[in-house]
Parts: sequence; structure tokens; C-alpha cells
Amino acid sequence: MGEFKVHRVRFFDYMPSGIRALAFNRDIERIAVARMDGSVEVFHCSDRFFQEKIIPGREQCGIEGLSWVGERLFSAGLNGGITEYDLTNQKVKYTVDAYGGPIWTIAGNQQGTHLAVGCEDGTVKLFEVNEDKIQFERNLDRQKSRIISLSWHPSGSKIAAGMMDMIQIFNVETGHSVHRLLADRGVGTSRSKECVVWSVVYLSDGTIISGDSVGMVKLWDDQTGTLIKSHNVTKCDVITSYLIVPLEWQNEDSLVAGTSEGTVVQFQFISMVLGKDDKEWVRTRTFKNHTHDIRAVAEITTAVVSGGMDAQLVVRPLLDKVEVRSAASALRKIHFPHRRLVSCARKSGLMLFQYPGHLELWRLGESEGKGSSLFVKRNPEKLLHLKVKGEDHIRCSAVSPCGEWIVYSTASSLRLYRLHCDNNNVSITKISKLPMVLSSANQLCFSSDSSHLFSASTQSSVHLVSLSQSGCKFVGTLKPKSGSHQAIHLLAASEDGKWLASANSDHEVHIYNLQTRKAHCTVPVYSSAVTAMGIHPTTNCLFMMYADQQMCEYSIEQKQYTDWSRMVQRKGLHRFWMERDTPCLNVMFNPQHPSHVILHDTYMLCIIDQSLPLPDDKTQFYNQLTLKSLPEEQRKSHSHAFKVCKTFKDILCVELMSDQSLVVVERPLEDVASQLPAPIKQKKFAT
Amino acid sequence: MSEIQIESSDDELPEEVAFDASKSAALKSVKDVLEAAKREKNSLKEKRKKRQQLFQEQKKRKRLPQELLEEFDKEPQKQTGPSDNKGIYKKVSKTKPSDNKGNNKTPNLLLYLYTLFSVGQYQMTNNSLTDKTKTGTTAKKISKSLPDSYRVTRIKDESAAKSLQQKAVDFIQSRLYGPGTIRTTNAELLSLRKKRGVNQGAAVGFLNKKLGASQKARIARSNKRFIRQQKLIPL
Repeated sequence: MGEFKVHRVRFFDYMPSGIRALAFNRDIERIAVARMDGSVEVFHCSDRFFQEKIIPGREQCGIEGLSWVGERLFSAGLNGGITEYDLTNQKVKYTVDAYGGPIWTIAGNQQGTHLAVGCEDGTVKLFEVNEDKIQFERNLDRQKSRIISLSWHPSGSKIAAGMMDMIQIFNVETGHSVHRLLADRGVGTSRSKECVVWSVVYLSDGTIISGDSVGMVKLWDDQTGTLIKSHNVTKCDVITSYLIVPLEWQNEDSLVAGTSEGTVVQFQFISMVLGKDDKEWVRTRTFKNHTHDIRAVAEITTAVVSGGMDAQLVVRPLLDKVEVRSAASALRKIHFPHRRLVSCARKSGLMLFQYPGHLELWRLGESEGKGSSLFVKRNPEKLLHLKVKGEDHIRCSAVSPCGEWIVYSTASSLRLYRLHCDNNNVSITKISKLPMVLSSANQLCFSSDSSHLFSASTQSSVHLVSLSQSGCKFVGTLKPKSGSHQAIHLLAASEDGKWLASANSDHEVHIYNLQTRKAHCTVPVYSSAVTAMGIHPTTNCLFMMYADQQMCEYSIEQKQYTDWSRMVQRKGLHRFWMERDTPCLNVMFNPQHPSHVILHDTYMLCIIDQSLPLPDDKTQFYNQLTLKSLPEEQRKSHSHAFKVCKTFKDILCVELMSDQSLVVVERPLEDVASQLPAPIKQKKFAT
Repeated sequence: MSEIQIESSDDELPEEVAFDASKSAALKSVKDVLEAAKREKNSLKEKRKKRQQLFQEQKKRKRLPQELLEEFDKEPQKQTGPSDNKGIYKKVSKTKPSDNKGNNKTPNLLLYLYTLFSVGQYQMTNNSLTDKTKTGTTAKKISKSLPDSYRVTRIKDESAAKSLQQKAVDFIQSRLYGPGTIRTTNAELLSLRKKRGVNQGAAVGFLNKKLGASQKARIARSNKRFIRQQKLIPL
């Protein structure tokens, strides 16, 4: 398959942001994740947790809670406002100020009519959810301390609010507080600190379950206003708790609570003695999948999802609810975003790193010698550090293949720069007169000869802008013939400059003819989202990788799937290929070997040789080492199309440069872990 | 002892005490008591006076000198932007004279800040003004008596919402990471994992050169300085 010189890049100091809130929408099977830097991501639970939508955050935006109302997503944060998101275009729709100071929690009632927010000044504010906006309705009685957590009773008539040292139960009709449940402070030194009730859950039979900073999960009765039972879960804070409730809201029998130590504890409403009817809440399982504080837990129908300050999203299936052992029943950890953060200028050896608040441009180093580890003649150097103007974070960025143009887009603006790179001097000029249509882009892509810029914008359309010495000029807009208006998340341009393919969040892939500037054809919609695509330089076939690890190849000129693709679909892919749990993020082709397709995901690099036979389930999939040990003649008969290399770990991006060298950008998880916030000290045996 | 005394006094005849003597003794004792009470009162009064004087003195000390206050009454003040957060310095700056004439927005009353304040809370209102204060060449001082590092600003220009958000963030930080929580470092967590893990290895601090690189560099520099100072290495 060839030898490549590999540039192993570890100077991309990407730090994922910690997870602050989770919200699961049962009807559309999406889970929304809010991060500490203000960004909101939507994952599709049945599509291998592919990260469908990313809404970038901004500086000084502290999101504290997320809530779905129907198919609309709302968030509330410490800046005092309730924000609704436009999920079609992946941006903020509007923000309504609640005028109560920082908002600590937001909860929607089960009927979908009202949103309650708990504010710093001690009020619970009710907002009515109208068709296009939310409207302030009224305040419940104002309390003396801040409201940290809220929970609606399933009937919508009562609200339990967790505050400092106590829980208040409000009657929504009258707005008055019905009961006051006092939470104990801890013993010893923690008696002087107030007890913060971090989370409450209100069950339909009137039981209130609360998790507080002393480390107790307490059960209260709302009729009498007294404590029923208290479980000592941990020494440190019990930060979040979530009730697992099946569709009918009838058997509320399971609850998960996340602690500061990184453990998730499950409580179940079962009977202590088998067969008898007297049920009570019993602590059953403990999951230790995190190292740092857990700030949010949620429940999918068959799994527990948790996220916290270690920035990983962990999906832990509950094996008693899973019938078949499949890919869906494995523990899944999502570390990195499912978007490309690195773009490479293939012809000039430059790399652009996208951070939330700035961009960095690096030139690759040079090496010499032979062997497995080459001597570095010239170190990689950082050429440019470009800070974003304004408070928004960068949504997408790109560098042209020749290395002369850099473009990035935030939620509100798009900036294009021209780069002049002499041997020692790097200078950058901003192109100030941009066409009006280029206000913001969901995805950006340069054509292979760097003469055009493609910018994906609203309504699934792509704006075409031509670049030249004098600046940039708007050429046209490519619109799909029909279909959805969802935002485009992938763009791929062909080498000869004739075709452009775009993939949007509704699983639609449109192909445009750039010479006539009209839509050419649409690839048949598949049930899974496209994670990576590329157009072959000579055959002009569109190679697509899907989130469920399927692949297919579509011939653009003939407007149909290729024979190789049909053979793959007929034969099926190997079990080990399908069981991989991270999506492929890049598809590349090698001009010297036209039948090779280079793919990568977070843990492996793979070259697919389309001229070799496909492996069936019985053949050994990872057979590179075995092939090495075999003599030359036997290798040909044993080899199959998939050559997988697992040398590199935690890969963020792989690119093939024009000088036939590979660039692998790795982000070792230990380096990420060493820069996270401080974890709780835990005493382990023999340390 | 007392019993023997009582016995001895019982044997003897009672003493003759004249009426005058006893009267004078009684009066004396009453006078003494009164005088003692008066003395106490006076001493308390003195103490209170002294205290009051001390407080007044302290109050006087904290206020800016009288001339300065008069001068502020005359000149308009404009808020300056947040300079580098060196903590407690105050700087006085003045707008251009041309601005003053047409400027009807001069504040009538100013709140004087007697105590130290944190610089970072103030917003930038006038970018050109802050540029001037940064360069320092065009910033004129109001009076020569006010030291260079003093600055007068208004409290009410502060944005209330931002400080509330900051307070909320501080609350969460103090509850989760502040005193009373048992936190350790990431390096320790990773080292423990290495120690108990499948492939056991040394602590992360020894293996990963990037960890604590800035601290190591600082220590190396201070070592070099110490050696040079003490002239431990003969030149």
C-alpha cells in the first residue's frame, strides 16, 4: 500500500469544553448538550450518537440549563436571559431577559405550555410558550435565597424548588409556597456552610427526591412536608439527578444521580423482597466512568448519558433494557467533536487550527533520514495567530490549498484574509469589501485551484464567490431543487472544479454543476447522516462515509451508485468495521494510486484498496501484521481491501499533502486531562 | 487563726470609741466612695473622648485632601477605562479642553471613592480616551498634589448585570472549588492511574515534560540568580 512520510502533529492544543447540561427529547430522539463555553450540540441517539448540530457559543456566556419544549430548544444562563435556538440554521433565534438576575435552572412542564426559571433573586418566573416567542406570565412568591433547581409535578400544578438549605413546594395556581422542607447541613466543619440543594425531582405520587451538597439523596413527602428517607451517597456534592421515566409516565421507577467524584449512582423503585408488593427506593448500581465532576446526567430509553468537567459524553447502556448485543449496547465515550477542526493547505504545507476564539496557522517542519523515526531538520513554526473580533466563537474556517486565503465564520460575521508568505515574513491583509450575502456561513470550502470560495448558508444553499488579486466577487447561489432547509455541515469540491457536493442535517446530499451553476442530482437519502465525503480526482465519484459506518460511492456523471458500491452493499462490511464507535471524519484520495481511498477515525487510519477483494466475516480483519510475516507470494492471496493502521491514537485529522506525505494531528487524552479543572481527591487502596 | 483572735478579743474589755471619731470615719468612707465614683466617671469620659478623637483623625486621614475635593467640584470628570489590573492604583485623567466647553453632560455630583477598589469592574466608554491614558503623553493631571497613580471614577457607571453574573460564577466556584472542598491536581490523578494501572509507570510529572514547564523554568531562573548572587561558581 505504500510508504508514507508521516508528520505527527501534537501541537494543536485543543481543549474541549466541559459539559454543563443535558436534555433528552424522547419524541425526536435527540439529546442536547450544553457546554461551559456556551456552545450547544445536538446528538442523534439512534444514529450512533452522531453530532448533528453544533451551535457555537460566545465569551461570557454561562449556560446553566437546557429544556426542550416540543421540538424547540431553550436554554437559560448566568447572563440572565432565556435563549431559544433555531435548530434549522444552527444559531440563536432570540434571547429574552428574565430580569431576575442570573438564572440557575430552567424546566418545562410536561404539557409543554410553560417554562419555569429559577433566578438568583429568589423568584420562580413562569413564561408562557407561544408559537413564535415566549411571554412572561408571572412570578411565584419571592423567596429569600437563590433558586438552584426546579422540578414540575407531572400534573403541572406544583413546582418543587431547591434553594439554599431548603426545598420549597409552590402551588402554581396561587403562586404561594405550600411546604418548606429543610435540608440538613453536614456534620463537622461543613455545618457553617449552607447546604445547596443542587437538584430536585418531583414524582407523580408526591415524592420529592433531592440531591444536595452534603452528599445525600433525600426522599421527601409533599403531603406532610417531611423527610422519608435519606441515602448517603458520597462525601462530596451530589450535583445532578435525573429521573428515568418511560413514555407513559406511569412507572417512574428509576433515578440516576451524578456526583462530584465522577460516579453515577442509580436508584430504583423496587421491592426489597422478591414477589412482595412493598416497593421503596433502593440504591442499585454505580457507574464510574468519569474522573472529574459530573454536571449533567440524562436518560435515553436504554442508556444513561452523563457528562461533566472532563468534557466527555459517556453513554452507558443499561444492560437489563437491552435485548440484543449490538453496537448500541457498548459503552461509548465521545471526546472530540464530529467536525473537522484542522484544515490543510495541501500544496504549501500549511495547517490551520480552529480554536473557539482564535485561529493558528502553522507551517510543517522538514525531516531527513531513513527509518521509522526521522530526524527533524526544521521544526514546525507558528506563522499566524488570528484572534476573532467580537465575542462569538468560530463556527467554521478554511485555508485554501495554495495557502494564500484564510476564511473563518462566526455566528454573526464572516472574514476573509489574504496571506502573503515570503521566506521569513508573513503578512495578512483583510478583505474588507465582502459581498452582502457572505454574512455568516455554516460551512466553508475552497475550490482546488483556490479561485472560488463556497460558503454554505441558510436554506441549504451555497454561495459561490470568486477570489482574485483584487478581492472577491459574488458569482452566484446554488440552490437545491427541493428538499429541506436544514443547515449544511459538509462541502466537497472536485479536483477539476466542475462539481460541488453538499450534505445537510436532513441526510440529503446535493450535487451541483459549477459550470452551469445549477443542481445536478441528489444522492438517494440514507437513514444515517453523512460524516465525511470526498470526490475522486479522476473518476469524479463521490465517496461517502455514514455515521453507522456504512460507505457508498456514487458516480456523479452517471448519476448512480458505482459497481463497487453495489458490491459492498451486497456483501456487507466486516463486523469489526461496523463495531467501530467513532465516525470517519475525512476521505482522501491518492493521485498516485487511483484505487486507494484513505479514511480515518479517532483511533485508526485505513486505506481501502478498491481493486482488492472485500473481507467476509470469517477472514481476519486487522491482518497487517500477519501479512508482514507471510512470504511475498502468499500475501496477495490473503490480503483484502481494508488496510488498517492503529499506530496513531486520538487522531483529530489526517491529510495527504501534495508531496505524498501524511499529516496526522493527534491530541493525546492525557494532555487534555492535565489541563482540566481540579478533580476531587479520592483515596485509593495502596496509594 | 480567726478563732484565736476572736477569743483574745472576747477576754478584753471593749474599746471606747468616741462618737465624733466614728462619725467622721463614716463620713469619710462615704466621701471616699463618692470620690471613687466620680473618678471612675471622669476616667470613662476621658477614654470616650480619646476614642472619639482617634476616630475623627482616622476619618480625616482617609479623605482626600481638602484642596483636591474643591478642585474636583470645579472640573468635570469622565470615566476612564480599565487599565492593567495591578490592583490598587488610582489615576486621574482629564478630557481635552475642547470637549469640556460643549459638554453638557458633566456630572453634578460625584461619588468619591475612599476605599480601595478593584479596577477590573469598569467599562470602557470612550475608546479614544483610554488610548490617551494608555500613552500617558496627552493625559493632563488635574492637580499636582494628586499622585500619579490616583484615578477618580463614578460608581453608577458600573454595569449591574455583569457584576451579578460574576458573583454567581464566584458562588459556584467557591462551592465547588473553594475552601472546604478536597481537591487534588490532575497530575496526581494521572499519576495514581499510572501507578495502579495495567502498564505501571512513573508519575506523570517525571514523564511528561510539558507539565509544570513554566514552574520549572521559573525555578531554574531563580536558581541561576541565586548562584550568581552568592558567587558560588567562581567566574
